[in-house]
Amino acid sequence: MESNTNRVAALIYGSISLGAAALFFLVTSLTGDYPPVARVGGAVWILLLSLIVTMPIVIPRVRSRLIPVRVTRDERPEPGATQDKSRHH
Amino acid sequence: MSSVTSSFEVHGMSCASCVGKVEKAIGGLEGVQRVHANLVSGRVVVEHRTSLTPAVVAHEIADLGYEVAGTELALSVDGMSCAACVAKVEKAIMRTPGVNNVAVSLGTGTARVQGLAGILDKGAILAAVRELGYEASEKLDGRAQLDREQELRTKELRTQTRNMWLAWPLALTVMMGTFQEYWIFPRFVPAFLGSNLVLMLLTLPIVLGPGRQFFVKSWNGLRRGVTDMNLLYATGIGASFLIASLNTVWPDAGFGGKEATFFESAALLTAFIILGRYLEALTRGRTSDAIRKLMKLQPKVARVVRDGVELEMPADEVLLDDIVLVRPGESVPVDGVVVEGYSAVDESMITGESIPVEKTIGAEVIGGTINKTGAFRFRATKVGKETALSQIIKLVEDAQASKAPIQKLADYVAGHFILGVHVLAVLVFVGWFFVGYERFFTPETKFLLSPYTLASMGVFGFSLLMSITVLIISCPCAVGLATPSAMMAGTGKAAEYGVLFKGADAIESASRVKTIVFDKTGTLTKGSPELTDVVVVDGGPTSDELLAWAAAVERSSEHPLGEAIVRGAEERRLEVPPADDFDSVPGHGVRARVAGRDILLGNLKFLRENHMDPGPLEQEAGDLAENGKTPMYVAVDGAPAGLVAVADRLKDTSISAIERLHRMGLETVMITGDNRRTAEAIAREVGIDRVLADVLPEDKAEEVRRLQEGGRSVAMVGDGVNDAPALAQADVGLAIGSGTDVAKETGDVILIKSDLMDVVTALETARATMRKVKQNLFWAFIYNTAGIPLAAGVLYPLTGQMVSPELAAFFMATSSLSVTLNTLLLRRFRPTAARRAPRDPMPRPSTQTAAVTSAH
Repeated sequence: MESNTNRVAALIYGSISLGAAALFFLVTSLTGDYPPVARVGGAVWILLLSLIVTMPIVIPRVRSRLIPVRVTRDERPEPGATQDKSRHH
Repeated sequence: MSSVTSSFEVHGMSCASCVGKVEKAIGGLEGVQRVHANLVSGRVVVEHRTSLTPAVVAHEIADLGYEVAGTELALSVDGMSCAACVAKVEKAIMRTPGVNNVAVSLGTGTARVQGLAGILDKGAILAAVRELGYEASEKLDGRAQLDREQELRTKELRTQTRNMWLAWPLALTVMMGTFQEYWIFPRFVPAFLGSNLVLMLLTLPIVLGPGRQFFVKSWNGLRRGVTDMNLLYATGIGASFLIASLNTVWPDAGFGGKEATFFESAALLTAFIILGRYLEALTRGRTSDAIRKLMKLQPKVARVVRDGVELEMPADEVLLDDIVLVRPGESVPVDGVVVEGYSAVDESMITGESIPVEKTIGAEVIGGTINKTGAFRFRATKVGKETALSQIIKLVEDAQASKAPIQKLADYVAGHFILGVHVLAVLVFVGWFFVGYERFFTPETKFLLSPYTLASMGVFGFSLLMSITVLIISCPCAVGLATPSAMMAGTGKAAEYGVLFKGADAIESASRVKTIVFDKTGTLTKGSPELTDVVVVDGGPTSDELLAWAAAVERSSEHPLGEAIVRGAEERRLEVPPADDFDSVPGHGVRARVAGRDILLGNLKFLRENHMDPGPLEQEAGDLAENGKTPMYVAVDGAPAGLVAVADRLKDTSISAIERLHRMGLETVMITGDNRRTAEAIAREVGIDRVLADVLPEDKAEEVRRLQEGGRSVAMVGDGVNDAPALAQADVGLAIGSGTDVAKETGDVILIKSDLMDVVTALETARATMRKVKQNLFWAFIYNTAGIPLAAGVLYPLTGQMVSPELAAFFMATSSLSVTLNTLLLRRFRPTAARRAPRDPMPRPSTQTAAVTSAH
């Protein structure tokens, strides 16, 4: 469960950060006359800072959301069950 | 999905149906596989899926009306350096099973965890903290904890000192190497030191040695989704060193070339951060001095007499009811009652009372105090953790480990600040990259306070430098220290003067108090009435005769007022004759035959019921009542012969304490069950602003609530069981140390002595501490507030100068230094009571004998 959560979180923050870095690279390629090192270096710096910003935001949210979602799916009451359990989740 | 078994300690299950109820309700929860409640052991064992948290099960049990036992765990956490570390550790602990609440204190390096008994997993909590890169262990008790703390502090200081010795000489060498071509440096700095490769080799040990901790800790936090200040350091140092190394090894790669090798930035940045850490390690040791001093008072050895044999043993092995022998010069090992011998004991370390207190048979002795003159034996009444000294230590420890609301806010701000700073760093980078560089960059660009020019700096190197400098200068490392260091110093200082704050929130509340309510009896007054006046009618018995007869009658009574009359006669060394035919009429008075005379003693009603006219004595009694005294008529052989009056006298320092509180701008209120006339007389004497008279004990809390409704922060000072609700209702409750245990349990502040000047001391210390907290927060934030725009290059278009990363690090270290030094100033604080030369004893109301002419 833990490793799955980490994988999902990594996928989200990794995608956001790579997206930000790619956007930076794209903008520097399309606008101005920036040297390749500046474009690549800048994209790497943006990637690093984006990772630092998104990791602490994404990981706790994924943890708190993913686990209850899986619980309700796995622990769905059997058909015919009469117990009222909804208030706890 | 995996399952776990949780065992809950449940109180309140009294029969088999309770068991059935619990099992049915818990069995109905989603994720519960098996449940078994045991009535005898009071345990409910639940096998459940990991998806169902123990907290939900506990909540369900509590909902059924049973109490799920809680437990508390105290941990020592070493290696935290900032408010963000605190947030990081708290977050990790909260995620472990069974934890309801956690408070981590940076100042004391402790964590107090509250959770469900049987579920709270110490091992899991310790592992969670250790996984973040901090050292964690269960907090030990007393001396063992002191030893461990000292050991950890010494270790931390040794580590940071070693880092200082490595970082600073190398960093200064790197700096001199960098500026080898400038100013006077060519004269004594060898040319090879200016080589970029040499500078890289000199910087590498700094980054990998003292700087390594920042990378390890930030990565440990980051992979769990938490950030701290180490991350700012790591990105700052890492990026500076990486770019400088790239420019050294591949100068044509386009990162700014050979001129943009800022090894001194990485080196000095690390050195300054290490300096900050070193200063913090020093401060933390000093602010917890008070607790160490208290722990050192705990005696190590006791002489116990068992089966007639005198044994020397460790003080913590003394058992209840053991007979303990104390010789002159020795410490009293535990609390007890003297059973043999006589001595004077120095109790100044506990009560602050400088004069040794005489101890005879029946007197109580306190563990940790020092026997001065004679030898005595006492019976141990409180041992181990129950002794007064242990309780005081625990109170101070708890207070230092607790968190004030202002600190929670500071921690929250600091915790979120880090993310904000990284977002700002992105914006600064993007801003200078796309707009700023092209419009404002000039080849004359210099670092502030540096001869160094940055002519060949490219757009990436320039924007990156701005971004890194913002990261470094924004670091709110002093914010984490600002509040806890002052709180620790404040609670420690208060404890030195016999004032025990139970928590940091009590200090914060006490500093805001605008109205202070005093219980009358036992708080403003001594709590035991004393004889004040004897009035005789003209031609009647002398005052001594009247008093002796009154005492003779009252000797058989157990009424407190009667005891005061008997004590008064004894103090005058009067011969009190025996009394016969004693008769008591509850609520009215007493009568008896003394020396062949019929003596009647009581109130006006009693006199009239016995067909006697008080005459001018009624006026005299009215005057006495007007002055807060309780008059009693004395009739001899059927005729009124005089009055005896008793009063509960003010404590010696009540007037001066109230006076000082007024000077502090506080409104003073007295609350009492006495009638308004008597209450106002006392209030006038002591200088109280407002009187709440005729208040029933159960209504005291309601009166405090009414005062609070006016929007004022209210403190309540009391000592009795009946004061407890009011102490709890008040924004801050101050319990008199000589008062009841209930009052002390309820109060937020305990005044060890019964001296009202300690109320002043408590409020003065609280105000001084909060002043210090605010100053510290100012110093912690001012550098960031002023520094961030500078680092972001706001002035660059005008001046062509930018802040170097090492200057940013210097600012940051200065902020920590300012907070550290400012906190240490609190050690010089002395409350008014301590500054006053020998206290002026309040003039006591004299016991006078007035004569009136009787109409008879």
